[in-house]
Amino acid sequence: MAAETQSDTDFGEVSQLKGILFEYLSLGASLLGILSLAALLVYVAVDAFGLEAADPLWFLIYFVTLVVPTLGFVGYGVKNRAVGTVGGTSLLYLLGGLAATLALSILFIIFDAQQWLLVYTVGVLPAALVFIYGRMKEWQQANLLTPIVFAVGSMLGVFLKGPLATFPQKWIIYLWTLGVPVAALLGSRALNRDGRDAAVATAVGTLAIAVAAALAGPALTGLNSDVTLLLGLFVGAPTLAYVARVVRTGHDGVAGLLMPVVIFGGMLLGAFVVQQVAVAQPESWVTWSYFTNPPSQLSAEEAGLFPAIVGSVFVITNVAIMTLALGVATSIYLEEYAASSGLLGKITRLIQVNISNLAGVPSVVYGLLGLALFINGLGLGLGIVLVASITLSLLILPIVIISSQEAIRSVPNELRQASYGMGATRWQTIRNVVLPQSLPGILTGTILALGRAIGETAPLLMIGAATTTFAPPTGYFDSVTVMPLQIYAWSSQPSDAFRYGVVAAGVVTLLIVLLTMNSVAILVRNKYQNES
Amino acid sequence: MTRKTLQDAVSRRKFLMTSGAIGTIGIAGCTGESSNGGSGDGGSSGGSNGTSEGTSEDGGSSGSLSGTIEISGSSTVYPLATAVSELFREEHPDVKINVRSTGSGGGFNNFFCKGQTSFNNASRPIKEEETQMCGNNNVEPVELKVATDALTIAVNPENDFVDCLTVEEISMIFGGDSVEKWSDVREEFPDEEIERYGAAETSGTFDYLTEVMGEEAGHTDDYQATEDDNTIIQGVSGSEYAIGYFGFAYYSKNKDRVKALKIDNGDGCIAPTLENAKTGKYTPLARPLFTYPAKSALAEEHIAEFAKFFVEKSTDRSLVADTIGYVPNSEEEKKQMMSKLEEAISSAQ
Repeated sequence: MAAETQSDTDFGEVSQLKGILFEYLSLGASLLGILSLAALLVYVAVDAFGLEAADPLWFLIYFVTLVVPTLGFVGYGVKNRAVGTVGGTSLLYLLGGLAATLALSILFIIFDAQQWLLVYTVGVLPAALVFIYGRMKEWQQANLLTPIVFAVGSMLGVFLKGPLATFPQKWIIYLWTLGVPVAALLGSRALNRDGRDAAVATAVGTLAIAVAAALAGPALTGLNSDVTLLLGLFVGAPTLAYVARVVRTGHDGVAGLLMPVVIFGGMLLGAFVVQQVAVAQPESWVTWSYFTNPPSQLSAEEAGLFPAIVGSVFVITNVAIMTLALGVATSIYLEEYAASSGLLGKITRLIQVNISNLAGVPSVVYGLLGLALFINGLGLGLGIVLVASITLSLLILPIVIISSQEAIRSVPNELRQASYGMGATRWQTIRNVVLPQSLPGILTGTILALGRAIGETAPLLMIGAATTTFAPPTGYFDSVTVMPLQIYAWSSQPSDAFRYGVVAAGVVTLLIVLLTMNSVAILVRNKYQNES
Repeated sequence: MTRKTLQDAVSRRKFLMTSGAIGTIGIAGCTGESSNGGSGDGGSSGGSNGTSEGTSEDGGSSGSLSGTIEISGSSTVYPLATAVSELFREEHPDVKINVRSTGSGGGFNNFFCKGQTSFNNASRPIKEEETQMCGNNNVEPVELKVATDALTIAVNPENDFVDCLTVEEISMIFGGDSVEKWSDVREEFPDEEIERYGAAETSGTFDYLTEVMGEEAGHTDDYQATEDDNTIIQGVSGSEYAIGYFGFAYYSKNKDRVKALKIDNGDGCIAPTLENAKTGKYTPLARPLFTYPAKSALAEEHIAEFAKFFVEKSTDRSLVADTIGYVPNSEEEKKQMMSKLEEAISSAQ
């Protein structure tokens, strides 16, 4: 009786043991995964950068010259937000410019610069002018005319390639096709911000820096004039414009401009001290020549990953375009248009089940499909870029479709109803409400799927992609090799130098490329996330 | 507000025109790069190489060749083939060479006999049914021996009870009805289970050992199969009672991790060395390595030149023996291969 009264007035003791146990179990699970991955990466990095060979003094020198000042500056930037913003932005300008230069250099290895010159001059540029004119005069027909001008002009450009025999040098092509638009873009931004004089100064300055970089750069750096032009255009000009703006407007965070100086100066100082003291440096396998050399069987020191890097980037770009177009279209249809009841609804469900199953099919099967369908069936060439891209697209398409559907489904139905209620059509609702809301989710799924595609080996082996090529692909019908294939081939070499050093460097390179591509996608995603 | 936007727009257009003009001047100012020069961005058709490519000069002088060469086949020959390709490209930088490591059989069945590749490397002679399959597609393989490998049987370095095995004992270990324990092989061996490591079925190494042991005996199923010889070495070096087999190159670069066994084929125990393989003493495990060009492909100059170059390099001791780890061809063998190749080329062209 007494006990009963107590339970009436009191809640009693609720055991917290289960909850605490669960919390620590999940903590343990996540730590296990993260730590083992970190251990693996450290292990690979030690091999790839040859850190074992380095003297402890080497670490100390760089710690003092580079790590401490950088951390100090970052700490200062955290305290003084204006300085932090300026420092971060100036670094972003530098690194973004470098990434753009690299991407364009790779792009023009694959695509013919002279062809691009013609297509740009008679196709892209007129179309852009029509579009801008239409915007300015509010001339509705421009929207229709732009694609027509673009298509006709581009085709004309392709046909012009035959009869024309002489072309300007590569850096002049870049100056005209890239320098002028970039100058125009920077100029028009300055126009909105600071008026006409600043705009003209920015545009002319940009072109002048690019030309100066192309003319003087090769002698200073030993790079080709076209690469130095790109550096001047994408690294030099925007950074200088930013510096000028910060200095001129008297921004509070002017000291932030020292951030890149601290980092790069620290690197140089460290290198200088190391040279003076002559301590043992790490024998890194990840060197500049590793990125620019073809693979070598004769000496591990000269082996490089260049054709495979270009091949991977080329194939993955195609895969990204194909899967985004096909995957998003399919998921929109299935979610927004397809019937959900009746006979058609049953068919939709059947398709749905099949797509889910396809996501679980082993990748080798897709390779067999590619071999049977595209190579033996359609008679396309063995292991060419086109077949590799389509095969990998098919492989990740189900994953992209499922994740996109999930993202579209998570858009609240009230938003759709509100849009219909304001008289919007179904197309307008999808275009203006559903897609912008679901884009971050769609991109997340696609990023994960692309990460899988870039590491695939099995399907590419089946379609006869080369294990080793010595030259990068120069078109859709060229044989291609990708990084995982080349790394796999190296891993079965008899000698240690290949199996540890060169393979580890390959893994690091693959990670760098993957992270760079992902960061671009993540930037795009965050932009939409902030907007919505 | 409106006025300002209009002014903005006008000046933007003006500004676009100005920058356009600057660009045009830039273009007018400079000409001079011929369209078919440059670094290989002339013809991007590639892929299945047409005969029009690479027939520019008869003498085959250096640097004049261009085109694509597709190679498939054995992972054992792959290092040699890539090294030869690398050297060939030093002389003919415009020739694109794509090397695939598919396994001897995989290369014949999936690619070479379908006419997809011009060369197939093999670590064993081509089989009857493969020749037939190639024939059905009008592909005629020309057999060229490019090196010799000494198939090495190895045990753990801590294993002190075995130094030498007879061929019969090898087939007791790796044959179809393999024994369970070391003591079943020889009575004085310890009563411990044998841990077997070997090549996967698609590998020419597997086929070769099976042939040595006799086709009817076959190869055991009770073993760790892999395409990667490094894995076999890892397995053998990890256990005292393990045994495995792989190409000599892998042994020569891992001499401290495994102990190679001598082989007794009736004439006493012979160690696996390049010398013994060259003189023919290391029987029956010294195996020839081949590359098979398709006869019809030899009609193309760059492919014929490459085949000749491959045969030429097969006697290069520093390349074949020191860098890759196989036994080079003798001068006599090279002459024989060269005349066979020349004959095939002249009948194809």
